[in-house]
Amino acid sequence: MSDARLRRVQKEIRDCAKDKTSQISLEMIDENPFHLIGAFPGPPDTPYEGGYYEVDIVVPDAYPFQPVKMKFITKVYHPNISSASGAICLDILKDAWSPVLTLKSTLISLQSLLCDPVPNDPQDAEVAKHFLTDRQSFNATAKHWAQAYAQAPARKQAQVSGKVATDAEMAGLSEESVKGFTEMGFPREKVIQVLKRLNYRGNVVNTMPMDTVMEALLS
Amino acid sequence: MSSDGEDYYYEDDYDEGSMDQDSPVSEGMSEPDIVYDVMSPTADEPAPKKPYDVSYKVRTLQEIINMQSKEVRKIQTLLEMPASTATILLRHYQWNSEKLQEQFWNDPAAALLSAGLSPPVSPSTRTGPLPPSPSLLISPRRPTRSSHNPALSPVKRSRAPQPSGPFECPVCCMEFAKEDVVKETFALGCRHRFCRGCWAEYLTGKIRSEGESSRIQCMESGCERIVREEIIDELVPAGVSKRYHNLLNMAFVADAPNLRWCPHPDCEYIIECTQAPPRMLNQLVPTVECNCGRQLCFGCGYLSSHRPVLCKIVRLWERKCADDSETANWLQANTKECSKCQSTIEKNGGCNHMTCKKCKYEFCWVCMGPWSEHGTSWYQCNRFDEKSGVNARDAQAKSRASLERYLHYFNRWANHEHSAKLDAEFYKNTEKKMEQMQNSGNLSWIEVQFAKQAVETVIKARITLKWSYCMAFYLKRNNMTELFEDNQRDLERAVENLGFALEQNIEPDSIAQLRQDITNQTAYVQKRHEILMDDTLKGYLERRWDFSVDI
Ligand SMILES: [Zn+2]
Ligand SMILES: [Zn+2]
Ligand SMILES: [Zn+2]
Ligand SMILES: [Zn+2]
Ligand SMILES: [Zn+2]
Repeated sequence: MSDARLRRVQKEIRDCAKDKTSQISLEMIDENPFHLIGAFPGPPDTPYEGGYYEVDIVVPDAYPFQPVKMKFITKVYHPNISSASGAICLDILKDAWSPVLTLKSTLISLQSLLCDPVPNDPQDAEVAKHFLTDRQSFNATAKHWAQAYAQAPARKQAQVSGKVATDAEMAGLSEESVKGFTEMGFPREKVIQVLKRLNYRGNVVNTMPMDTVMEALLS
Repeated sequence: MSSDGEDYYYEDDYDEGSMDQDSPVSEGMSEPDIVYDVMSPTADEPAPKKPYDVSYKVRTLQEIINMQSKEVRKIQTLLEMPASTATILLRHYQWNSEKLQEQFWNDPAAALLSAGLSPPVSPSTRTGPLPPSPSLLISPRRPTRSSHNPALSPVKRSRAPQPSGPFECPVCCMEFAKEDVVKETFALGCRHRFCRGCWAEYLTGKIRSEGESSRIQCMESGCERIVREEIIDELVPAGVSKRYHNLLNMAFVADAPNLRWCPHPDCEYIIECTQAPPRMLNQLVPTVECNCGRQLCFGCGYLSSHRPVLCKIVRLWERKCADDSETANWLQANTKECSKCQSTIEKNGGCNHMTCKKCKYEFCWVCMGPWSEHGTSWYQCNRFDEKSGVNARDAQAKSRASLERYLHYFNRWANHEHSAKLDAEFYKNTEKKMEQMQNSGNLSWIEVQFAKQAVETVIKARITLKWSYCMAFYLKRNNMTELFEDNQRDLERAVENLGFALEQNIEPDSIAQLRQDITNQTAYVQKRHEILMDDTLKGYLERRWDFSVDI
């Protein structure tokens, strides 16, 4: 059936090239039809708007009976996408896969995943906590990431602290919180790493005992 | 409470030489109504049922298949539907026919839909048949189904309901000429059409790689239509079809609370037992024996008897042992030093009665104390001395005492398991020797069976002893536990004595004497074994045991 796999993928690539309306692109890496890069624009009215997202695509031997393997090459700040590896948590890439789904339809599903995160089934627990705790702060961070990694144009309201977002902003933390601990003498990198893990945002800042933070910083 | 003075204690009971060597030993026992016919090959026949035993049957795979057919016929008749529909419904409701009937009569369409079937096409036939068989589906039909059940087709594009021209399979992109469509392609009642090659590959993947059976759905994304048994058989190669039917049978057994596969490797029997539902497992230990000759627990699938311990406690114990395995590892070491002369002693048989080859010091392998003390009433090898724990004041001493307490029981638990294995190995050597004697001397087959019986008795008793230490670990101490520990000690002593006797060298001129001795001891171990089982297992029914964990 490997003939069938090749025939099917080649047809998918052809069809995708013909289709000018969907804005989905599909390109082979080194002429290999089973290793591709897919790309699509971030959906409008989301923090990802204006960004351009690239996805690594591996077509397995048993395709289309086994789901295609996809992960984000572009860094994305999203509850269902690993902020470190780009791994994606989406049902159709696992047990809800059907052989009639295509590379293009799967990329469209990824695009709609950016519109509608599923924080209760997270790939990145820290990001999901951020999303559930403080939506406004989450959106700001996701936007910073879109600007830093997905070439989204910087907008006026995002430029409070100069052209490039600060490390605190990239981590979704307030400068005030970070400063509070760096002034005690803890290295900035460590403070950001710990506060991110503790989800030190929104109401958590008011309710979390100081001891908990100190303990994490000292360990 | 038993003590050394009791009349069935064998040392008082049998008198070497005075018995007829060819007769069984029963006349020497104090309870004439129990016949210890350990010599006879029929001694393994089932004993009369005890209140704590469960009734069960060992079933073959064919019987399991027949059971399913019977259920299908019942539903087929009751609900007036084709067998294939009844089968899919039963599988969906995990063979719970009461629940199926209730839900079906309540809302037939919903019941069918939830099982992955579209309801009858014509509204007039309430329990009408499924949409026609696959071959009929190829002929042109009105495209009405999706309007009946929009839930069944959340699919973006709708495919041609019937092949009116050439057809391109959406999965492999192969094109089929109009005249080949009937032969080369196939659609379920949902009319999502694909080529047969793709169907075969898809179904084979589901069955072989994912182990799916009764819940395999249409290939279309989001379509929940179930692929029926007959269709799968038609579309996949014979080997895959066989695997598929195996999976269906496995699912049937897994879904039925009164059935369990024999867990032993290479065994295909199924145990049927209605008397040990999960709610009874806090007072019942449903040990059963499969036709493959091996024992298992019907309650939890454990690979041997774990009597007298409840399934739940076995799970707790195994988890604890896994957690504490490193601390406890050293206990299972096979060598120890003689506590008198410090020379290294290796354990070879299962017996715990050790004699140092060098200084002839006799001691107990488990507690390393002198063996002579194990024959008196203050024998304490089985009982953990809780006093040291109670008196411990600081937390560190308490946690050490708690670890010591666990190690005390674990050590004895592990030792019996280890000993049972050694006993089995040791017996293999003895068996060879006995065969030689049988071939060379005047001994008959029946006369050399005593060792086999004795070893089997020892091994069974050791398995019970092993678990009795797990039980003791979780028991709260009261006067009931003292009785339990007395019984445990008496059985342990009987087992160790018999194990010791079995390890004596067998020579042709001493065999008659040895046979008599071992036969008597075997009978005694069996009796002590039964007493311990009776007391502990009846104790559950009488709610006599108090555990430190919630059961
Ligand atoms: Zn096909
Ligand atoms: Zn379908
Ligand atoms: Zn078996
Ligand atoms: Zn069990
Ligand atoms: Zn010694």
